[in-house]
Amino acid sequence: MITLVLDIITTAAILFIVAAGLLIVFGVMKIVNFAHASFITVGAYAALVTSRFGLPPVLAPLVAFLAGGLLGAATERIVVRRLYRRPLDAILATWGLGIVIGQLVTLAFGREVQFVPTPISGTLALLGVDYSLYRLLLVPAALIIAGLFAGLMNGTRLGLSTRAVIMNENLAQGLGIDSTRVRLITFGIGCGLAAAAGALITPLASVDPNMGLAWLIGAFMLVMVSGGSLLTLGLSCFVLGGLQVVASTFISPILGGLTIAVLAAVALRLRPQGFARA
Amino acid sequence: MPDLVPAIEAKPAAALPGSPRAFLRVAAATTAAAALIVAGPWVLDTYAVNLLVRAFFVAIAALTVDVLWGVSGTLTFGQSAFFGIGGYALAIVFSQFGFGPGEALLALTAAVGVAGVVAGLVGWLSFYPGSTPLYASVISLVLPIVVVQILYSGGTFTGSSSGLVGFESFDLSLENWFRLSGLAMIATLLVMWIVLRSDAGRVLGAMRDNDERCSYLGIDTARVRIGLLVVAALIAALAGFGYVGFGAVAAPENAGFVFGTQLVVMVALGGRGSLIGAVIGAIVIELASAYLSSSLPFVWELIVGVAFVVVIVVLPGGLLGGLRDLAGVVRRRVAATPAPVAAPVMLRTVQRPAAAPDCNDVVVEVSDLSKHFGSLSVLSKISFKARQGELVSLVGPNGAGKTTLIRCLADGRERSDGSVRIAGHSIERLSADRIVGLGLGRKFQAASVFETLSVADCLRVARVRNERPSFIEASPVLALPAASRAVVESSGLIERLGEEARFLSHGLKQALELAMVLALEPQVLLLDEPTAGLTRAERQGFADILTALVARDRLCVLIIEHDLDFVRLISSRIIVLHQGRIALDGSVAEVVDAPLVREIYTGRPVSDAGGASA
Amino acid sequence: MTFTRSLTALFAAAATSAILAGTAFAADPIKIGVPVGLSGANSVVAPSVVQSAELAVAEINAKGGVLGRQLALEIADDASGAAGAQKAFDSLVFQKKVDVLISMETSAARNAALPIVARGKVPYIYTSFYEGKSCSPHMYVNAWVPEQQVPPIVDYFTKEKGAKTFFLIGSDYAFGRGMLAFTKAYIEKTGGKVVGEEYLPMDGTDWTPIISKLKSASPGALITSTAGGAPNVTLTKQLRAAGVMLPYGNLAVDEGTAKSMGTDGEGIYLSASYVTGIDSAANKTFLAAMQKKFGAELKTPNDLSVPEYEAVYAYKAAVEKAGKTDSGAVLKALAEVTVDGPRGKITMSHEHHAALTMYLGQVQADGGVKVISSFANVSPGAQCPNLK
Repeated sequence: MITLVLDIITTAAILFIVAAGLLIVFGVMKIVNFAHASFITVGAYAALVTSRFGLPPVLAPLVAFLAGGLLGAATERIVVRRLYRRPLDAILATWGLGIVIGQLVTLAFGREVQFVPTPISGTLALLGVDYSLYRLLLVPAALIIAGLFAGLMNGTRLGLSTRAVIMNENLAQGLGIDSTRVRLITFGIGCGLAAAAGALITPLASVDPNMGLAWLIGAFMLVMVSGGSLLTLGLSCFVLGGLQVVASTFISPILGGLTIAVLAAVALRLRPQGFARA
Repeated sequence: MPDLVPAIEAKPAAALPGSPRAFLRVAAATTAAAALIVAGPWVLDTYAVNLLVRAFFVAIAALTVDVLWGVSGTLTFGQSAFFGIGGYALAIVFSQFGFGPGEALLALTAAVGVAGVVAGLVGWLSFYPGSTPLYASVISLVLPIVVVQILYSGGTFTGSSSGLVGFESFDLSLENWFRLSGLAMIATLLVMWIVLRSDAGRVLGAMRDNDERCSYLGIDTARVRIGLLVVAALIAALAGFGYVGFGAVAAPENAGFVFGTQLVVMVALGGRGSLIGAVIGAIVIELASAYLSSSLPFVWELIVGVAFVVVIVVLPGGLLGGLRDLAGVVRRRVAATPAPVAAPVMLRTVQRPAAAPDCNDVVVEVSDLSKHFGSLSVLSKISFKARQGELVSLVGPNGAGKTTLIRCLADGRERSDGSVRIAGHSIERLSADRIVGLGLGRKFQAASVFETLSVADCLRVARVRNERPSFIEASPVLALPAASRAVVESSGLIERLGEEARFLSHGLKQALELAMVLALEPQVLLLDEPTAGLTRAERQGFADILTALVARDRLCVLIIEHDLDFVRLISSRIIVLHQGRIALDGSVAEVVDAPLVREIYTGRPVSDAGGASA
Repeated sequence: MTFTRSLTALFAAAATSAILAGTAFAADPIKIGVPVGLSGANSVVAPSVVQSAELAVAEINAKGGVLGRQLALEIADDASGAAGAQKAFDSLVFQKKVDVLISMETSAARNAALPIVARGKVPYIYTSFYEGKSCSPHMYVNAWVPEQQVPPIVDYFTKEKGAKTFFLIGSDYAFGRGMLAFTKAYIEKTGGKVVGEEYLPMDGTDWTPIISKLKSASPGALITSTAGGAPNVTLTKQLRAAGVMLPYGNLAVDEGTAKSMGTDGEGIYLSASYVTGIDSAANKTFLAAMQKKFGAELKTPNDLSVPEYEAVYAYKAAVEKAGKTDSGAVLKALAEVTVDGPRGKITMSHEHHAALTMYLGQVQADGGVKVISSFANVSPGAQCPNLK
């Protein structure tokens, strides 16, 4: 029972870390970045490179964030900027971008599956069970990410500008806020977060050019349901992720993988704008 | 509504009305293609034939994606799911029961049956009044994932991750498979082309351009989309049936979302909306990936990815569209001939018995209508009656709730409380298209027409409710009721019937929309600031039309207007709205000089009765 | 349709057929097709398989080739799955027109490929261990089947580790289910009990709920049979992260994969027909030759790649015995020729399968395998009674 609860909490944390970047982009720019999966992959490979260079593993997420952020800003500037009025086309173009990035990664690193050594192994005796320490550490990691982002939004000038752009872009521009720059930075941060997520999950998975894809649909559905609020995202990850774990445990792991997608689709039918308050 | 209207991209092939020459060209092209298919196996080597059989079945699936996305505007990643259903139906039946004519029939029935039911379910889930294109795309994304997971969990029944192999399948020679699949592809293309350029097919393009306008022309767009999805699913399932029947292997990848997105890529690269683009895109990509993936293993996919991004961002018409535009530019430079003009369209007047000159039944009855958003009350306790032969102007300052009132009359789901009866029938919670059927026509404030359709086609779509269009013919005759025809002729639209609506001036677009709404033969006409942006002459012409509609055809017209001179000129009655309530309701004389009106508009209490009129 | 559009369509069709009509002509070298999982689940081991094939071909060509003709390799990616295998085999059989197919693949790929092999009538030597009972007149197998591999591990756990209850985890496809079905039957036959049997799809990466079930079932031993490569590694990593330290028998791991698991792999028991520590002259020569040819790029030879090396030699012997590369003659000869390679003397004479020497080993901290015991000449049992 405790194991199940810990499974749910850690799964929710992992889903949150993976989806947060996608939510930030969707919330500010109202488009869906389908290249998100390939940024997760980029982050994983950044972690690989970090370990190959012999750097301490704790730097991997930071290196990944930088790599993803720079690459994301570049793609916003070159491609995404032209698609704000065409949200469906934005999905397609970012999907194509994802393919391009994935192929570039393959060209650079080869198609084989690679492995990043686990930085922290072992278990922690918690509430009577031995549970994977690394998984447990991802919970505070998720909270730190949420906290950093909240701090950014509420405590900095950039955050204020961003919130203005979210609410009323025309007015914000009229008041002298450079919304183009806000979008550029937001997209960069969103992609950087995706990369950091990739680096954080590599110890639990393998590293290959298509690894990000498995996370894309789940993250996408969670973001749709959350409607743009980070808090609601956390809740959705908890509820839907929890249901996924329960379904996998008690029904079958194969059908459990469906849970998030199906339940999110049903939820959206009931409330198309998502469940964010206001 | 930026989300509903995609950026204007290449006009679909079916935009130009038919002419006998077009038919001849198509017949010639089809016969030539069929001949190539029949002769193909004698010229090509075995490997190429093998590849092309598969490519043809994939091309059929790509065609269904084009019809859904390029023509009617629903981005779908889910056609692969139906392809997989068709294929697995065959594989499962043959694995369980062996091979034979009875089993083949069973497999075919299963393929079509399951695909149809699933499509109906998915359509019901995706297309409902108020759904957004994004949501429909989301569902189409989830569908193949669900199908694949079901396949994974099926154990030995579905072969799980391995797929199904080793079952006996149809015993055709490779050459005959080639001819079968190639001819099936050409037949599908031909049928689709015929249907899409027919009068009924226009509606799909109209839905893509402006879904809301279609609803307000009485077309149940949700039902049309569901029907279209079911048809597309059946065709994709048959393509999958053939594909697996040929290869004798059913793999979960055939139903997965990666394959579904590949179909979208093929259509985009070939040129969405053009049908032939989907076929070319599918065949080129299938062939090139087979030949090039061994020699340029990673670079090929990279090339496809880059081309895809470029096409989406810069070349919405796909490579084919780009070629066509280039050819057009070249032709114009070289031959200096004007672009081909569509075949002329002839107008015909629909005969209707004239309305009795004095009839003035109540056709609009509003009681206690209220609308609130949360605690904000926009309309409260609105009650009035309007009769045939009345021209009622709704006036009031901005924010008074005029457009909201119109919306509540036209869409049964909008109001919070109260009741509305149109032509004697309560509108309950009916959707807009059903209320059009009761006799209501609504004209929007911003001219709401179908940008990429020609003027004639816009009017044709407006007639769909009253005259069932043909699924085969593109009629050269356009039948309009007298009022609509009068607008077309007096505005000058009659000279520009073949032109695309997006090239019209603002005034002409307004006239077109009016003609479209009149084509519905409504009893009640709702107009929202129709004279905004019109010249003086246009305004006068408009006034004449409205007066004639009311006097001769006994329409009831409700018009929101700010131009009080115009209001005074044409109205028989004025309702003044202020802060969500009716402030005044009376004849022109009663209302225009009322001090309350001046107070409402200027915001100041009137100090003397002799002040300038409002 | 506008004139331009139909013209473009016709042009495209004509151009395409012109390109395709140029068929490949038969070339002088004997072509060996190697469809293998360069991408997907098998991508971890595929490079080692390719290296084995390359070494064998290089050695044979240096000695004059086969019947005076050189050998050439055609490698294709089967994406480790059924759909990819169809494409790869179509390309090799019908476009490149290979004379023989020699490769290691997932069961999903193999099953999808067999109809194409039959249609193309090309001999196919399958060099991968698998769940058994796959039969085709065109296919020979020189790797192990469950009858050879499973008993050593189960017996060891039962006798030496005292395990009475077993938990089974696998990938949900032919190999995973087939291996575990055999394992379950064998466990029950020898008096043990299976307290759990769980599967994930082949591309599944999250074993968390299954691992939780494992821990609550508290079995005496764990036996897994996942797809080779990535699923193996993710399961092991997640098991170790969850602190699972039971006797762990992995039916699908090879030495190369074990090495790349790092410290997580330590303690895993495996049963294989090849380990690098085999103390024979043939093996030492083989390893030295691999090291010389590939140097720093060498991927550890393993139970999935060494049979590939031996299979190329088996083909050479069969062609020389038959006197020609004609399919029918070669297929007949393959049942009769013996290859003396790193795994000893192997003949595919048991209903298209081969008797093998099996080794029970345990993975060490450095990734190497320590041999605990060996069993000579284990029969594959009755695999294809119809193919006598």
